[in-house]
Amino acid sequence: MSGLAVALLLAAYAPQQAGSTPLDPAREARVQALGKQLRCPMCQGLSIADSGSSAARAQMDKVRELVAAGQTDEQIRTYFVSRYGEWALLEPPAQGMNLLVWLLPGLLLLLGLLAIARVVGRRGPAAVTPEVAEPTAPETDPYLEAVRAEMRR
Amino acid sequence: MKWGLGLVLAAVTGVLLFVLARGFGRDPHEVPFMLKGKPAPAFTLHRLDTGAPITLAELKGKPVVLNFWASWCAPCKLEHPVLAWGARRFAGDAQFYGVVFEDTEENARAFAAPLDPTFPQLIDERSRMAVDYGVSGVPETYFIDATGMLRGKFVGPIDARTLAQRITELQQPQAPLSAVSR
Repeated sequence: MSGLAVALLLAAYAPQQAGSTPLDPAREARVQALGKQLRCPMCQGLSIADSGSSAARAQMDKVRELVAAGQTDEQIRTYFVSRYGEWALLEPPAQGMNLLVWLLPGLLLLLGLLAIARVVGRRGPAAVTPEVAEPTAPETDPYLEAVRAEMRR
Repeated sequence: MKWGLGLVLAAVTGVLLFVLARGFGRDPHEVPFMLKGKPAPAFTLHRLDTGAPITLAELKGKPVVLNFWASWCAPCKLEHPVLAWGARRFAGDAQFYGVVFEDTEENARAFAAPLDPTFPQLIDERSRMAVDYGVSGVPETYFIDATGMLRGKFVGPIDARTLAQRITELQQPQAPLSAVSR
C-alpha cells in the first residue's frame, strides 16, 4: 500500500499513448465489438475496449491491425486465445467443461419447478382449502348454558 | 420416492462440488501462457542506445533471455541487478536483451543510464511485440532456446537461482518444459 502511495507520488505510471488511427466506421465497429469480447490481462475484470490501461490500448491496436489485415473475427479471437488461453475471452465458448456453466442453471431451475409441481400435486385440490372446525352446537355446551342462565337471572 | 430425490440431490451436489473445486483450485488472476514450446514470434526492434535494428532470426543459434520492463515499474528496478549479474555470469550460454514495455524512449533512457549496462535494451514501439509474446505485465522474463522455441516465461521479478536454473534448462535440447511460475 505504501509502495503504491510512493509510486503515485513519484508519478510512476505508464505514460499514456493515444490508440492507433481508427479504421473506417464499419471495420472500426468490428474492432470495438471484438475488443468488448477480450479480457484485459492487466486490469482483469474489464474488456480491452473498456479499459484505459496502456496494455489494453496496445491490444486494441493489435485488434485494429489484424482487422485491417483482413483477418476474420474468429482468426483474431484465435490470435489472443493462442497467447492468453481461453482466459482471454470474457464469454467462454459453450463447449467441453464450459457447457456446465451454460446448462447447469437451466437444469437446476427445471429441477426446482419439478419439485414444486410434485409437492403441489401430492396435496391435491381438497388439501388446499383449510379444514374448518365443526362448530359445536350451542345448546349442548354446558358452560354456555350456565352463562345464559346467569344472564337470565 | 425418497431414494430418488436423495440420488438427484447427491448428483447435483457432486457436480457443484466438482465445478467449485476446479474453480477454486486455480488462481483467477493468473494469466495463462500458451506459447510455451512454440516458436517464439519473430520481431525486429531497435536498440535503445545505438538505434541499430535487432531481429530474432539473427539471434538464433544461442539461447535468448528476454526481459520486459518499464521505467514506471518499481520491481523492474529491483530486478535489474539480478539480470545484469546473469548477463555477465552466463555470457557464454545465453544472450540477454531487455525490452522496454509501454514507455517513452526518454523515460527508458533515464531509467537505464545509471544501471549496469551489461546487456542491450530494445525499444518496442506501441508494444506490438509484447502483445505478440503474450506479455501480461512487467517485469516478465522469457526464455528462448537456440532453435528459437519459447521454453517458458517467468512472471514478476526473477531471482538469481531461478534465472540460473532456467538458463541451465535452455542448454538441454530435450529439457522438460519448465512450468510457468509467478
